[in-house]
Amino acid sequence: MSGATNRSWRRLLPSVGNNHSDLMDARTLHALAALLVLVQFPHLRNMPAWVSASGLLLVGARLCLLHYPAHRVLRVVLSPLSVTALAALSAFVIRWDYGYFVGRDPCVAFLFILVAAKFAEVRRANDATLLLCLGAFLLLTQYFYSQTMVSALITLPAVIALAYSLSVLRDSSNPESGASQLKLISVLLLQGLPIAALLFVVFPRLPGPLWSLPEDSMATTGLSDSMSPGSIGQLSQSGAVAFRVEFDDDVPEPSQLYWRGPVLTQFDGRNWALSDERYAVTPNYAGSPDNALHYTVTLQAHQQNWLFALDTAISLPTSYTATAQNESQNLRAIGRMYDDGQILANDTVSQTIRYRQRSVLGNSFPAAGEPASETRYLPGRNKRTIDFAKTLRSEVNTDREFAHRVLQHFNVEPFRYTLRPQLLGNSPVDDFMFNSREGFCEHYAAAFVVMMRAAGIPARVVTGYQGGEMNGDYMIVRQSNAHAWTEAYIDGTWQRFDPTSAVAPSRIEGGLAAALPNESFVPRMARHAPGLLRTMQLRWDAANHHWQRLVVDFDNDSQAGLWDRLGLGKPTQWQIMVVFLLLAGIWSAVVLRSPHRQSKKLDIQERYWQRLSLFLYNKGLPRRPSESPSEFLQRAATAWPSHQESLQQLDNIFTALRFRSLDVAERQTLIGNAKKELRSLRLALLFNRSLKPI
Amino acid sequence: MKPSLAMLTKSGLWQRVFRTRAEDVLPHTVTHQRIYIVPSKRGLAFLLTLLLMLIASVNYSLSLGYALCFLLTGLFSATLLHTYSNLAGLRIKGIAGQNTFAGELADFLITLDDLQDRQRHGIRISAHDFTSAPLSMNMAKPATTCLKIKTQSRGTCQLGRIKLQSDWPLGLWTCWSYLHVPRHALVFPKAELESPALPVQAGDEEGALAKAATTGDVSGLRAYQPGDSIGSIAWKSTARGMGLQSRTFDNDASLAATVLDLQYASVQGLEAKLSRLCAWVLEAEATRTHYALRLPGVSLDNGYGQEQQTKALSALALFDHKGTSAL
Repeated sequence: MSGATNRSWRRLLPSVGNNHSDLMDARTLHALAALLVLVQFPHLRNMPAWVSASGLLLVGARLCLLHYPAHRVLRVVLSPLSVTALAALSAFVIRWDYGYFVGRDPCVAFLFILVAAKFAEVRRANDATLLLCLGAFLLLTQYFYSQTMVSALITLPAVIALAYSLSVLRDSSNPESGASQLKLISVLLLQGLPIAALLFVVFPRLPGPLWSLPEDSMATTGLSDSMSPGSIGQLSQSGAVAFRVEFDDDVPEPSQLYWRGPVLTQFDGRNWALSDERYAVTPNYAGSPDNALHYTVTLQAHQQNWLFALDTAISLPTSYTATAQNESQNLRAIGRMYDDGQILANDTVSQTIRYRQRSVLGNSFPAAGEPASETRYLPGRNKRTIDFAKTLRSEVNTDREFAHRVLQHFNVEPFRYTLRPQLLGNSPVDDFMFNSREGFCEHYAAAFVVMMRAAGIPARVVTGYQGGEMNGDYMIVRQSNAHAWTEAYIDGTWQRFDPTSAVAPSRIEGGLAAALPNESFVPRMARHAPGLLRTMQLRWDAANHHWQRLVVDFDNDSQAGLWDRLGLGKPTQWQIMVVFLLLAGIWSAVVLRSPHRQSKKLDIQERYWQRLSLFLYNKGLPRRPSESPSEFLQRAATAWPSHQESLQQLDNIFTALRFRSLDVAERQTLIGNAKKELRSLRLALLFNRSLKPI
Repeated sequence: MKPSLAMLTKSGLWQRVFRTRAEDVLPHTVTHQRIYIVPSKRGLAFLLTLLLMLIASVNYSLSLGYALCFLLTGLFSATLLHTYSNLAGLRIKGIAGQNTFAGELADFLITLDDLQDRQRHGIRISAHDFTSAPLSMNMAKPATTCLKIKTQSRGTCQLGRIKLQSDWPLGLWTCWSYLHVPRHALVFPKAELESPALPVQAGDEEGALAKAATTGDVSGLRAYQPGDSIGSIAWKSTARGMGLQSRTFDNDASLAATVLDLQYASVQGLEAKLSRLCAWVLEAEATRTHYALRLPGVSLDNGYGQEQQTKALSALALFDHKGTSAL
């Protein structure tokens, strides 16, 4: 008993002396190392640099130990005790680096280290099994961060390495070569593919998380819940995709594409923020349903919970269904609408989601109620603008006229539209209106709302995206489409005004690049210049979009849609199970009946003989039933005396192949000769006319 | 009647599953009725990992996670079929036990062939906790593998139930088939290490000092029999094309005197006595001395050569013996 304990303690200490018998053999270690590196590779961009580096270093160190088994320092560093200590230390560093430990990301980082550490001290076959299992799980965790086609493709080598490691672990002294093992593994994977595809389609998708770890904080991309001068201009310099849209019917005009995002009402003189007094409303639409525009939005993860819809949304976003027909059956709202018209998802959009939406195009927005006092509030800054607005208001009769007067002001006065305006001082609106007179959409929107409010008209800033680019059958909306416009409460409705269009109308019609032809800050993908690279990028985007649609978003609804399209209605789980078992049975029969026979090689002489007979037949020399192959070739030789030698040679070869006992090498030579003779005969007789039958 | 365990063991089902009785005949083809296949330990660990991966995929709605899980499930399923067909259709043509001495390894030579033209890999055969080296077979060519079983005491070493098993290709499934044919090897007594000289019989001292059988005058020729010493072959007449012939010698009869009797072995215990007799037989063979063996109830006539040795040692192995000798 004490002996066993003693021994298990020994295992933890660096082993001294020359006992290397417990070390794994090189073949196994190399296979495992290949697996590990392939599993680590997709994670390198997600992990903090120190985690990636230590993971790779541990693997490298273990391989060094394999080649220098007597190296003192390596032996001590890679002893189970010190590796365990390293892993424990890394847990603390991860806690310190991320600020928390029980969360998805730090756990993945820890698993990353743990797998490498396990490899560093792996000694026995059982350890290797654990290592394989951890590695397989780590391979899965890369999908937390990315589920693109590329991440699917880079998984494949790791899967092959996993199978190869299993094969090597089974029997590392296996005489089979690595290449033949890899070939077998590809056969296994290909044969497993139908089962995988079938399971992927029929396996029930459970909605919602079974548990959730504390929220992981992630860097946000896209619009934020506040706006200050320059914030949208900065965003516009990114060519990243914000979302993609498929319209059921016609695609609206570019000038109508206002994708509504956060509505900013609170103003402190410089920054705009969301209102605190919003309340959820039910979208109601009294008009004809024929005007409604139906579309599907594929929204990239942006770590916020707002969704985007064309102005004016008349429905809540519903989860995507494969067919438009059963939309009514699956009305599952995934978000809610607020009185300012903004739509918020129930959950943070932490991965790409797809939703259905209906909108009616228009530039006015029915008010849900009397505007809140916030929409009239102005802080005590920007006095000059306020005075200017008041003067301007007194010159016109109605609010609407006033609004147009302000737009006219932007248009007539020398205002400039630029991504890189001067920095603004303490009263940014005053500065912008009277000094710099250059700015991006947020500057114009902010100035417009301030002037409206100064004239006593409730107004607010709306942020979102404007425009979009068609790519095949869908539209891409990029961060460079980010935009800010305004709404003013006139005659009981919220009326959209886009002051940017007064300054740079081409921004609305033709996008950022059209409005700013000479600014190099405009991202390449926002420029519409044709080019091979751009075309390829658009193709790639289309491929990714279809990937997202067909594979990544394959869920319960897509499953139902698939049954529907196949005309199966709604099969029960039992029916699916029975069909699955049936198909699996057929699959087994097919796989079992396709053993890797090598009969083809045995038949090769037969094939060449048939080729020769067919050739002679085509040349007008059919074989008589009574003729032996040899007699037949003799007859051919008399028919073509110029090729007598060649035909004689072929006769010899086939006779030898058939009747002489040959070893493999001799056989190969003869078959090679037969091939050569046959080819030269064909070439020589290529232009010979057919013979008359003799 | 209530079914009892005893009944169950007697019933056909028990025999069909566990092959406890040696009722099989050779050649035997391994068919699906005889093949059992379950996930190996590593396979179970792999399955558990797949389950965890599936749960993670469900929790985080990872479509590619599902895809990866199912791809590995497909791999796992395809491996099942390959493991199975690695064993199915294999034919055991013959099993031959090679006699041995107690305490040493008894070799069972097992010849396999294949009716299906397959490549087969890593087939191991085991019996009594002893396993043969992994065997690979290529395209219907017969292959022979050697199963070595450690023996303990003299007697017979029953091969017992053999298990053909394989976990090829990935070690995720282990597949086996039982086969129980009545085969055994004889286990001769362990030869005494430092045995005294061959016993000298009274009145026949020349016998004790017998020279090699191939000395003396040639008295005639007879047809060669297996067991005849190579030295006694009349090579000249063989060269003349008369086939193998052995020379007979005048002094044959005088050499018949060495009688190995159990009584002459002056040690305590039957096994020790048999051990000594075994050593004597081997020594007589080594010194080319003719000998006869006398055991209670067994009498082996004067003789010499491979055949005589086998007869003598077999008699020693089976004398007053019960039960099998395998560990």
